[in-house]
Amino acid sequence: MATESSEGEEETKLMGGNPQLVVDGDLREMAKNAAWSVSSCKPGNGVSALRDDNYETYWQSDGAQPHLVNIQFQKKVKLQLVALYVDFNLDESYTPSKISIRAGDGFHNLKEIKTVELVKPTGWVYISLSGNDPREAFVNTFMLQIGVLSNHLNGRDTHVRQIKVYGPQPNPIPLQPFQFTSTEFITYSILR
Amino acid sequence: MEAVLIECVQNSLRHLLYRNAIFMCERLCSEFPSETNLQLLAACYLQSNQAYSAYHILKGTQLPQSRYLFAISCYQMDLLNEAEMALCPSNEPMAEVPNGAAGHYLLGLIYRYTDRLKIAAHQFNQALSLDPLLWAAYEELCRLGAAGEATTVFGESASECIQKQYMSHHDAGPQLQASSDDHNAVSGRQQMADNVSTRQLRHLNANNIKDNSLNHNGAVFSGSTAASQPSNSVHSNISFYNTPSPMATQLSGVAPPPLCRNVIPNGQLSSSVSADVSPRSTVKSTLQPPRRKFVDEGKLRKISGRLFSDSGPRRSTRLAGEGGPATNTSGVPVNVGNGTTHSSKYPTSSKLGSSTSRSVTVKKGQSLPTETVNEVVDDSRLNTVATTSGSSQSFDTRSCEHDGSMSRASTSVSKVANGALEVLSLLKILGEGYRLSCLYRCKDALDVFLQLPLKHYNTSWVLSQVGKAHFELVDYIEAERAFRGARLASPYSLEGMDIYSTVLYHLKEDMKLSYLAQELISTDRLAPQSWCAMGNCYSMQKDHETALKNFQRAVQLNSRFTYAHTLCGHEYVALEDYENGIKSYQNALQIDTRHYNAWYGLAMIYLRQEKYEFSEHHFRKALNINPCSSVIMSYLGTSLHALKRNEEALAVMEKAIIADKKNPLPMYQKANILVSLEDFDGALAVLEELKEYAPRESSVYALMGKIYKRRLMYDKAMLHFDLALDLKPSATDVATIKAAMEKLHVPDELEDSI
Repeated sequence: MATESSEGEEETKLMGGNPQLVVDGDLREMAKNAAWSVSSCKPGNGVSALRDDNYETYWQSDGAQPHLVNIQFQKKVKLQLVALYVDFNLDESYTPSKISIRAGDGFHNLKEIKTVELVKPTGWVYISLSGNDPREAFVNTFMLQIGVLSNHLNGRDTHVRQIKVYGPQPNPIPLQPFQFTSTEFITYSILR
Repeated sequence: MEAVLIECVQNSLRHLLYRNAIFMCERLCSEFPSETNLQLLAACYLQSNQAYSAYHILKGTQLPQSRYLFAISCYQMDLLNEAEMALCPSNEPMAEVPNGAAGHYLLGLIYRYTDRLKIAAHQFNQALSLDPLLWAAYEELCRLGAAGEATTVFGESASECIQKQYMSHHDAGPQLQASSDDHNAVSGRQQMADNVSTRQLRHLNANNIKDNSLNHNGAVFSGSTAASQPSNSVHSNISFYNTPSPMATQLSGVAPPPLCRNVIPNGQLSSSVSADVSPRSTVKSTLQPPRRKFVDEGKLRKISGRLFSDSGPRRSTRLAGEGGPATNTSGVPVNVGNGTTHSSKYPTSSKLGSSTSRSVTVKKGQSLPTETVNEVVDDSRLNTVATTSGSSQSFDTRSCEHDGSMSRASTSVSKVANGALEVLSLLKILGEGYRLSCLYRCKDALDVFLQLPLKHYNTSWVLSQVGKAHFELVDYIEAERAFRGARLASPYSLEGMDIYSTVLYHLKEDMKLSYLAQELISTDRLAPQSWCAMGNCYSMQKDHETALKNFQRAVQLNSRFTYAHTLCGHEYVALEDYENGIKSYQNALQIDTRHYNAWYGLAMIYLRQEKYEFSEHHFRKALNINPCSSVIMSYLGTSLHALKRNEEALAVMEKAIIADKKNPLPMYQKANILVSLEDFDGALAVLEELKEYAPRESSVYALMGKIYKRRLMYDKAMLHFDLALDLKPSATDVATIKAAMEKLHVPDELEDSI
């Protein structure tokens, strides 16, 4: 079950963008073993361009809006952050403008959890999935869908160069209710 | 031409000029093709790291030395089957392994790396029995966990073995001669009983006594003519003894014991002897020291030699220092040397002499090499000599002489014996320490190592072992200290540095670790330990992919370096690539089944994959090898708890708590188990105790808060949750705790997070 954010209907405006990817140390990229798919693409600019760590290659959609990127995980994961690399200077009318993030168990019960509006982004854009409530720091879900609802300058198709999805670091020690913080515990907790 | 070429090749090898050696040896082999020359060529190739060349030229050869060299080249090229065939041809099951101890050791290594551990241990034991100083064989036995106690391995039999080896290597001839000498002397004595007058006896005794510079002894005989003469004769004896060979001819068939012989060459007059003796002095002095050494071998000598030897060795050293017989005091060693050399001239069985000397020794009792003992012995000997009748005197003289000659031989013999004993006593301590640390009885190992003399303790090998022992005891601070000492002692040594890097990793000392890694790489880029250290450095910074690359490099450099495989496994697990992790750990275990870290790694993977039976099995295997590790015990308890075998889990946790008081984890796990068993009071008690040990651990307070919440003691629960949050837990835990706090009054069953 996806936990719902209380402010699922609000929009956030995001401006600018970071050319470098800067993420907290306690976050971990979660989507390496996930199944990625897109609603449509131009040949040669497929979904693999989203994950190749290359800013030159991009995914180009080829169909009707909204354009969707689907990420399906093997089991329920806690997600905290989505990072997108888009560049208005290079892509102009292909740059996404309105983005909606949905989560759920599968295609049948996706629910929108976040909407953002990008304004001339040039680099990495971070979209946090947490709610205001500290209890809702994570979205616990099987599937994430990133939907591009509209582009800058009313473009039809969109270019996205990279997408990364982050969640919390797992407990290094299995079967523990809580993670250890003090040096004594950590020293004795692993053998190397 | 052949001899010239061989000499040239060996000279080049001695001076480490391999290119020259190989070139000349190739010319030698083409000019005089023979298997011995081929062996020499192979040796040149092997010494300059061209095992493949040696392999090709020695293929098919049959001589033992060739087979041994061929086996070495196969081993270096990793062709273990062929190496084994060479050492142990299948069509000759009873053939002797070439090169004795070395061959057995190589065969043992081959068996070990082809997974036949029992026969490997058997081979190493054989190697050790043939050559007790083959430390590498004992090391391998320890690593296989099959080593006998060091005191027995490096004990009496070992010392006898070493002396026999020494003797056979240096002095096959002299030994026999010495014995025959005595024999001749004995028989001659009987014939020349009259010749062997008391005068001779006195001479002998006086000489001996004088040589021993025992004043009172000298005084006893001062009155006799022998006294004056002995001084001369001593001189002459000394000089005389310097050149045994001429003496030998003179002495052959002469009854008097070597001493007397020297004094009385052909005839029976000491004066004549001395006269004859003098001219030879110069010639003999030069030859003396080496002869003495040769004579030193011979356990037989040792016993009789003891009587006179205490003064002997000392005198010998003094003599050697003085560069020749100069004084009376130096006479004894000279005499001894001469005597021994002389005795060597006479190829009669030494047994008679030795038995006599032994009997004498027995009479005098076991004498320790001390001056006083000597004196006592001499005194008693003198007394016996003086009091016995002619025949007995002659017998005594003879025995004295035998003893004299024996002592000559035995001084050198006793020197070797002493040397062997000293080496063995050192090896006993080192061996015992290493054996205990391989059995993971680390506290005992540390105690044993502390018995070493300081100059040996402060060497890099010993300090590395000490550091490793502390590391196994999870005492990383002490381990770091020991390893630091090891680095100071030998900054170029790489032994144990991989463990040092792991210690620094545990202590989170990133500066020291990166410095260590850089230093190691600059010392030796081709050593697996350097890359292990580098990998640990990256792993500490959470860059697991680079760390993995470094560990894989270490594996490439030496695929038999077990720890590199295990570290690869750890990195794969950190990257959540469990399949490759399992493969790496299994590789490590293939090389060394007793590497408990790999068993632990496998068990942790299965624990994460929730295959609890597998994990329990593997934790037990790890615990079998290292029974004192509280970490393994606590994880075993966790697996048992996951299998719902809670009683066993609690029992194991108790053991873990007792095993290491400083480890807080077993107590925490025990509390966990108690909570799941709904024994909240017990759990709380344990956690209260744990608070004392680790007051800043947020998970303790979080767990207590959880328990209080279950017990509906909401105030306490809130308090503890706050405390837990203050200690800055991870983001996940913050969320969990806060959620628990918000829904404090909602029973746990409705929540899915806690």
